[in-house]
Amino acid sequence: MDRPRVAIFDFACCEGCQLQIVNLEEELLDLIDNVEVVEWREAMSEQSREYDIAIIEGSITRPEDEKRLEIIRTRAKTLIALGACATIGGINKLKNNFEMSDVKKCVYGKSADMPHLETMPTKAVDEVVKVDYKIHGCPIDRKEFTYVIRCLLMGKKPEIPEWPVCVECKSKGNPCLWDYGQVCLGPIIRAGCGARCPSSGFRCFGCRGYIDDPNVNGAKDVIERYGLSVDALKAKMVLFGIGQGPTNA
Amino acid sequence: MCERCAVEKDIYLPRLATLEKKRLMNPTEMYLRLSIDDNEPFDFIPGQFVEVSIAGVGEAPITISSSPTQKGYFELVIRRTGNVTNAVHRMRIGDKIGIRGPLGKGTYPVEEAKGKNVVFICGGIGLVPQRSFINYVLDNRADYKELAVLLGTKCLSQRFFHSELDVWSHRNDIRFMETIDQTDDCWLGNVGVVTTLIPKIEKELESALVFICGPPVMYKFVLMALQEAEVPKERIFLNLERKMKCGVGKCGHCQINNYYACIDGPVFRYSDLRIAPEAI
Amino acid sequence: MRTVTIDKNAFRRFVDEIIKRQRVIGVCAKGDRFDFEQLESADQLRLDYDVTLQPPKKYFLPPVETLLTFEVGDGYKSVYDDTPFVLLGVHPYDMVALNQLDTLFTQDNYDTHYMKRRHNATIVACDVVSPSKNVFASSMGTATVKDGFDVLLTDIGNAFVMESGSKKGDRFIAKAQGAVDSSEKDLQARQKIQAENEKRLNNHKLKCEASYLPKLLERAYDHPVWEEKAKTCFSCGSCNLVCPTCYCFNVQDDVNWDFISGKRQRAWDGCLLDGFTKVAGEHEFRKKRADRFRHRLYRKCKYVPEKISSQIMSCVGCGRCVGACLPDIANPVKVYNRLVDDLGIK
Repeated sequence: MDRPRVAIFDFACCEGCQLQIVNLEEELLDLIDNVEVVEWREAMSEQSREYDIAIIEGSITRPEDEKRLEIIRTRAKTLIALGACATIGGINKLKNNFEMSDVKKCVYGKSADMPHLETMPTKAVDEVVKVDYKIHGCPIDRKEFTYVIRCLLMGKKPEIPEWPVCVECKSKGNPCLWDYGQVCLGPIIRAGCGARCPSSGFRCFGCRGYIDDPNVNGAKDVIERYGLSVDALKAKMVLFGIGQGPTNA
Repeated sequence: MCERCAVEKDIYLPRLATLEKKRLMNPTEMYLRLSIDDNEPFDFIPGQFVEVSIAGVGEAPITISSSPTQKGYFELVIRRTGNVTNAVHRMRIGDKIGIRGPLGKGTYPVEEAKGKNVVFICGGIGLVPQRSFINYVLDNRADYKELAVLLGTKCLSQRFFHSELDVWSHRNDIRFMETIDQTDDCWLGNVGVVTTLIPKIEKELESALVFICGPPVMYKFVLMALQEAEVPKERIFLNLERKMKCGVGKCGHCQINNYYACIDGPVFRYSDLRIAPEAI
Repeated sequence: MRTVTIDKNAFRRFVDEIIKRQRVIGVCAKGDRFDFEQLESADQLRLDYDVTLQPPKKYFLPPVETLLTFEVGDGYKSVYDDTPFVLLGVHPYDMVALNQLDTLFTQDNYDTHYMKRRHNATIVACDVVSPSKNVFASSMGTATVKDGFDVLLTDIGNAFVMESGSKKGDRFIAKAQGAVDSSEKDLQARQKIQAENEKRLNNHKLKCEASYLPKLLERAYDHPVWEEKAKTCFSCGSCNLVCPTCYCFNVQDDVNWDFISGKRQRAWDGCLLDGFTKVAGEHEFRKKRADRFRHRLYRKCKYVPEKISSQIMSCVGCGRCVGACLPDIANPVKVYNRLVDDLGIK
């Protein structure tokens, strides 16, 4: 097997997903035995213009980032969005609720008008270029990351769950957190995390994004029966839920 | 451990087969000839399928396309659609492929059809599983009366088995008719969907057993045409494709109301499907 | 086969003795709920539980299970789990469910993976002490159980009556220090408890005989209830995953980093999930939520009972799906009663 050339790029993010890759420990050696890492700012100084697989971490928040991403796309055979910022825009999309001028003022104060601080509403990677595979989560799951990479090396399409977190949560034998007064987003959020948060007693925040066909009727019905308002549910979804199709309503 | 566990084989354990021949038949269909490595029997009835297993990739259910009259090897034709089928396309001569089966208890009614007219209606890749029984009939030609095969293909580029179809169209003991859905300058034959051919085989349809296999959308229209031709449901057989994982009646994916496509089918008598609205 | 009485202290000592010798799984408190867990001491055992979060099927059909390992080009090897264990405190409805799974995994094709675990188990069933909020086992005829268990326990106050149901059960009981053949009085006490349970485990009352349900469903396929209920269905599969008789599974391969060796695993799946029937060409046979919603309730009380020629339905009335369904649509009794109301009993 030829070792495919892999490049890892970061945009607006905390780099925590890359850190998950660095933290692969023994598996990191397996990974670099099987791929040739040609660019990875967090781990090496070399750069490259040719790669088979581009891994994109972070969301797109500046006009120049869009151009950079488009260039990467033209150079990559396969492009992977890594982590919630890249797959769904992530926490960075919080700013899309405000005017960009206010956002800049809030963050940079007097310097807000300086030209290099230009900003725009946050986009997920697939709002700018075609994405071949998404590795969801904030942060990503290391096992899922290595599984996806192995699949790509074998020329196989990875099987990423289409079903909601409830599947993994119930398989683990957890009681439903709704019974304990938590507004858990499990029923509408894509599984694959192993229901990590609900298994530790924390509601699902939705970092893996919505499943393909979340039932909005179901959500409205449940809100009503649990005496919540639509706004209260939206407040629970705000961390990761902004600007994702099915729940814009 | 119980006595039965000691003697029962693992139903999920594939045997190994060797890829003897492969040939790309059109942009998506690959012909494969395989032979089983072990000396255990590999006897099948037309209509039965195997789970093709590629280590590390998974399994896919594929109906055997050759006739059991051909001994020592069997043939599959595999369309490239998912992980397993793509991996199969990349296999090389001499490679080992895992095989479970033959599977499926709902097979073509090889015995019941004896002494009767037999009519095959195929949509595109639906020819592949039907071919097993068609060739079986040809190899035991005296046992069956009139034989008609209707084949509808979406477009010319998807046509396959060219030389075999050519032989069929020149034999006088088989009525073979073909049509292409969309017009094409290079095609001089019939144009239109396969149902347009049905009125042309009025004679063969008389007291015939009729076998249908094709894409999911095809069945409804063919059945309507057969109803018009007054073919009773008891004489119509459908070869149904469903998602299958285990192939042995456990995993539940292929269920069609009361039936499991993998063990009750894949070939069903239409009259038995009265209670299975999900079938069509 | 013997029936003995053992006082509760002696029973606790007996359980502690077994724990020393082999793996014992019993019902324990988990927060304010209960679940099966491996016991370290008999003190953890809570035979007064109402219902466990998960049914006991996971000890025979684990949520994820390796079926095979392989070496590319060199073939496949079966993987089996051969550890004997005792499963302590299985309620009658869950025992009925296991009996059905036994039939399903041996009928047509014999599943050695399931059956080896099954044969390695000593199942100690126990009659219900505290009915759960959603139980309707009485409606389904599963409030008590007559067979399948190795031992059946009944709490008669200060002691347990232990009935052996198999040779394995005989051997189990023979080791119980302090157990004596049950007196007529004890047996009567047990009889009374079982007779009561047959009526009182009924917090959702089915309006027809359970055995009538296959007939009822014959006339209900196009009833509006499926669409109505499924309107708020999340297709989250919770009802499948907590069900003691759901056994559908998915199969997936994974390779090691050498790209030669790897394993094939099966994992629980659910017919309510989107994509359950999707073939490689992207065609999905049960695309609509209502179709999937209907399928589960047909499977429970028509398809599976007919498949295994059982008078007992495949919904055993444990009520777990009722509690697990966030939009509160999964309750089988509510749906079946609605059908009885609209279609009548013919």
